[in-house]
Amino acid sequence: MKKIFKTEKVILVALSMMLMFSFTACKKFLDTERQGVYTVDNYPYPGGSGPYDVYLYSAYDDLRSYDVHCTAFFLATSVRGDDADKGSVSTDNPANGDPFDFFPVQASNSFLNGMWTGYYNLITKCNRVIDQVRNNTTIVATDLQKTQSMAEARFLRGYAYFNLVRLWGRVPLIDTLLSVDQINVPQSSPAQIYAFIENDLRFAATNLPPSWDKKFIGRLTSGAANGLLAKVYLTQQKWAAAMNAANLVMTSGQYDLSTSYDKIFGESGENSKESVFEVQATASAQEPTKNGAEITQWQGVRASGDWNLGYGWNVPNTYLENAYEANDPRKARTLLYRSTATTTYKTVYGEITPTTWTNPIYNHKAYTNPAYRAAYNNKAGRWMNIRLLRYADVVLMYAEAANEVGGTDNITAARNALNSVRARARIGAVAGTLPDITTTDQGALRDAIRRERHVELAMEYDRFFDLVRWGIATEVLHAAGRPNFTAPRDNLLPIPQTQIDLSKGVLTQNFGY
Amino acid sequence: MRGANGVIAITTKRAARGKTTVTLQSTAGVQHVDKLIDVVDAEGFKKLYSAALANAGSAPFDFTNYNGNTNWQKEILRDAAITTNSLTISNSNDKSTTLVNIGYNDQDGVVKYNNYKKYIARLSEEIRINDNIKVGGNLTGYHWRNEPTAANLNTAIYAAPIVPVKNENGLYYTMPSFQRAQVGNVVYAIDRNRNTAIDRGYRFNGSLFAEIKFLKDFTWRSTVYTDLGFNNNRNYTPLPYTVVNIGEGATPTETYFDNSARTSVSQTAFESRKYQQDHTLTYDKVINDDHRLTAMVGFTTLYTSSTNLTGSRTDSVLKVPRDPDLWYLDIISKDNITSNGGTGAEESNVGMFGRVSYAYKNKYLLNATIRHDGSSRFAPENRWGTFGSVGLGWVASEESFFKDNIKFIDFLKLRTAWGRLGNANGVDANLYQQTISQSSAAVFGENVFPSVTYTYIPDSALHWEVVQGFDIGMDVRALNSRLSVEVNYYNKTTDGILTSFTLPNTQVTYFTNLGKLTNKGIEASLGWSDKIGKDFSYSLSGSFSYNKNIVNSVGNNSAFQITNNGSINITETGKSVGYFYGYVQTGIYQSTADLDKTPHMTTSLPGDISYADIDGNGEITPADRTYLGTPFPPYSYGLNLSVAYKSFDLNVYGQGVAGNKIYLQRRTASFAPLSYESNRLNAWTGPGSTNIEPIINARGNNLLFSTYYLESGSYFRLRNVQLGYTFNRAMISKIGIQALRIYVSGQNIKTWSRVSGYTPEAQISNILASGADNGIYPIPAVYSVGLNVTF
Repeated sequence: MKKIFKTEKVILVALSMMLMFSFTACKKFLDTERQGVYTVDNYPYPGGSGPYDVYLYSAYDDLRSYDVHCTAFFLATSVRGDDADKGSVSTDNPANGDPFDFFPVQASNSFLNGMWTGYYNLITKCNRVIDQVRNNTTIVATDLQKTQSMAEARFLRGYAYFNLVRLWGRVPLIDTLLSVDQINVPQSSPAQIYAFIENDLRFAATNLPPSWDKKFIGRLTSGAANGLLAKVYLTQQKWAAAMNAANLVMTSGQYDLSTSYDKIFGESGENSKESVFEVQATASAQEPTKNGAEITQWQGVRASGDWNLGYGWNVPNTYLENAYEANDPRKARTLLYRSTATTTYKTVYGEITPTTWTNPIYNHKAYTNPAYRAAYNNKAGRWMNIRLLRYADVVLMYAEAANEVGGTDNITAARNALNSVRARARIGAVAGTLPDITTTDQGALRDAIRRERHVELAMEYDRFFDLVRWGIATEVLHAAGRPNFTAPRDNLLPIPQTQIDLSKGVLTQNFGY
Repeated sequence: MRGANGVIAITTKRAARGKTTVTLQSTAGVQHVDKLIDVVDAEGFKKLYSAALANAGSAPFDFTNYNGNTNWQKEILRDAAITTNSLTISNSNDKSTTLVNIGYNDQDGVVKYNNYKKYIARLSEEIRINDNIKVGGNLTGYHWRNEPTAANLNTAIYAAPIVPVKNENGLYYTMPSFQRAQVGNVVYAIDRNRNTAIDRGYRFNGSLFAEIKFLKDFTWRSTVYTDLGFNNNRNYTPLPYTVVNIGEGATPTETYFDNSARTSVSQTAFESRKYQQDHTLTYDKVINDDHRLTAMVGFTTLYTSSTNLTGSRTDSVLKVPRDPDLWYLDIISKDNITSNGGTGAEESNVGMFGRVSYAYKNKYLLNATIRHDGSSRFAPENRWGTFGSVGLGWVASEESFFKDNIKFIDFLKLRTAWGRLGNANGVDANLYQQTISQSSAAVFGENVFPSVTYTYIPDSALHWEVVQGFDIGMDVRALNSRLSVEVNYYNKTTDGILTSFTLPNTQVTYFTNLGKLTNKGIEASLGWSDKIGKDFSYSLSGSFSYNKNIVNSVGNNSAFQITNNGSINITETGKSVGYFYGYVQTGIYQSTADLDKTPHMTTSLPGDISYADIDGNGEITPADRTYLGTPFPPYSYGLNLSVAYKSFDLNVYGQGVAGNKIYLQRRTASFAPLSYESNRLNAWTGPGSTNIEPIINARGNNLLFSTYYLESGSYFRLRNVQLGYTFNRAMISKIGIQALRIYVSGQNIKTWSRVSGYTPEAQISNILASGADNGIYPIPAVYSVGLNVTF
């Protein structure tokens, strides 16, 4: 018995030695890494001319995302206005689509949460760039590179908050990367958010270049920052500041009204002298959709067979049709009519439109060139850039702001700016079309400028915001068959219920919902 | 071996020496989906779609040319054959045991034209070198061939029934214009993609072991395992067919061929590897007949890895023919549209363990285990966990006072155990690290610039999920072991549940150890078995269990609400995990007058669902949402009946659950105008028409998550009914057969349930987001005949 225990002791000692040996071996054995994926620790940070570009580009990528600039975006900015209807067929997602036409939009509307999420993802990516610039010591960069990357990120963040504040009013202000325990941020007041936006955009305007070389065409510029800043000021009725910001764009030498209205919206008009802030999209036969934006497809002609270009949402209606002055050539470039038994209509590229399209009118500005469709062997049109800010918009903002600042000189400057837009619009039209505005009365000129914005920028995702900031939304929308529109409730969208739920009540619902 | 649909011809010779057996097991059956989702027919669809348009104030739809009446489910489902066959030859003598096995399974899917074939071969050998040493091994290889299907079951429910499948010339119809872009002709899809995949896999696994007994009481055993898998897949995308768009209104009926479509070919190669080793040292000793002590220490490692390689090319000039001999990437010149990708994964686990069990006179039992496990899934500082258990048992029926006094009880054991177990598998490996995704890109002009994104926020503290708890129970056999009773109570706490949920604002998925969850419950079973006379025996048993779960805490994640599936599943302290949260339907608002006197939303209209005013403030707001039930069944039960009479035997087994809810998510789809399930035929049409089904008009109010979209998940299902006949041994031995049994069986042949989907088993994957029926695949009934024969 005793002997047996002795042997067992020896075995036990041997065993524990083996265990200790295997324990150290195990530690190494367990060091398996992610395969074929970079982590932040082994990512070979690129240096060169744009050391922060890989982060910045992901923010640019978001500008093409469905949640940032597609269905919810045009529903909120265009369909909520008087000019456009949901489109498609009436039974196509009426639960979530119709409320944007007829009010009120409910907090449970699925488009809302998607859009909210989309913009906060964009903001996170901007904050990531800023965090990299400030804190990543692995990346070697000059002060100029740092400032410029920071300026691009702050532009995009400012843009995101500008849309958020106009859509929802009070939103959480997140200006840094948050850890999970800090992530539930309460809402800030619109005044705080506007102050934040102005800061971001002013920094961008100061530190962005006026233009980029050809390789980076369409990248953010100081002109884009000033143009957006003008709109931010205008929305807050800071007239002098708006006038000044718009003037900086107009005197920058980068832009003019030389591009014909016919050409601006097509593929060949991309990044023209008209382009101030334009989301870049492209395609190839190899990648017909991946590097594009869906917003064109959603507004594309809804029909069968070869005419099946898209889903036919966001369609112009008769209220827009009636907004044009006689013979205004811009009408035909904005409203794309289905032919009827008695009248034949054509696209801007000369094709006769069939009588079999689902909807009577589509957004002509979102109509793609058939030559590109053939070249890419694709009908979705995702290669179309999204024009978010055109030069004519800046000129009209200048006109509006100058007129509001008042005084003979400013009113004259306002009128001249307005007439410069009308002068381009009338090119090719019969004599007497769109005559110069001659009034010297501030009120009459205000109305003229508003009418001009309405038609010049029709279907360009800004109409609803214009109606609200002019304080005429109730009047216009009631006249346009939307009697349910109730201010101030419907000036803003409801905070998505999903977000209120996630916030455990830290976010509070907007007034009236 | 050559098998055609389950028929296998075999010829065997009796082995010359004894101890050789040859066993054949073979079944052939048919699978049948006996319950379809109850959808409207063409007439019903026309009625409801017209109502939808009328209620929306739109012009009516022109149904003139839509003459079909198709139940798309019937078009894609079929009765499907299944067969399994296995032939085993084993040989055993003093020195060795050898086993050779071949098998062949062939299963058609109930969804056309899915098919899966598997060929198996196995060799197992054990050699006893002497009384103390034996070695052996096992080698298994199998090959499978899969024919996938392009059918989508939800599409078959969403497609309008008014469209016929094909016209007289065999051309497929497309769906009506209102859903054409989103919903396809599902028969077209399965026909077009039939026989376009060469999807094959090979799997080899083997093990070797050695066992050495030494110093009388010690046993050392070492085993090494290898498991290798190779999947090889070639796919072909054919050109589309010419289709017929049915004329509507001014649009005439026309045929259409999509000239922009191209053929393409893709190839995938997947390889998986798994290596494992186990070593144990066991000490087993009986001392003075009364003490039995078994002690074991062991060590194990497991390493798994995989690589995947994919490529595809699309021919923009030629049309690749429908010929599998050509479906390799190089059939399309490399100047065409090409894409490729490659990924890999690697993981390792280590464990050390010890176990002691001790029994005194088989009366007092003790066992204890302890183990120390490491997983590469976690950061080095969180990699290791220590777990273990202690169990005590008392066989009271072995006590003399018991034996003397309580005669009718044959066996009574009381037992209790406490344990602590670890789990590392709730989330993907290495999520403690921040990885970088390179899938996005910026565009400037026509130039594309790749970018990086961080797709999740890492939780660097990710660690083992630990389940800790105790149970106490009793096993009884009485009345000459005819009666058996088992009762068990348990109380387990899961700490640091490995799971994921979305964060506020960005809704990024966060993978973490979430708080604490307690599961308590009882399990009980009762059985009776007896014989009547010489020829008749029977046994009857039932089991029942009840489980209740409650979230004790959500750990460090209390700063926000944990919601899933769009606020439908909520997880919060003090409630059942992932419970359903929404409105309670009270009826339908019948009229404006009804609306005026009933709490409602600002947007409510007659015909809308009316909800309960839970907070009693006189109006319906999000604050009126409440607890609506749990996706997890608290009750489950089973019944088993076996009867044998002479050579016949019958076994019936049924199982059920009760008390859970299923969310009818498939009914909330709104991406296009879709067809309707038959419940909508009873939709509200005017005051008094119904108090359950809202108006046909997809108003947002009626899509809110409420009890209207929940149904009871309770069911009872006959899992298996089998009737067998065993031939008399004396009779068959004359023709050289040792044992022969034939049987007929039916699996899942009857389900009692009120669910409207194919099956009541709703998905439970993430415990925080469970119970949604988003198109659950049917579980078919299987009717089969079988044969077991031993030579």
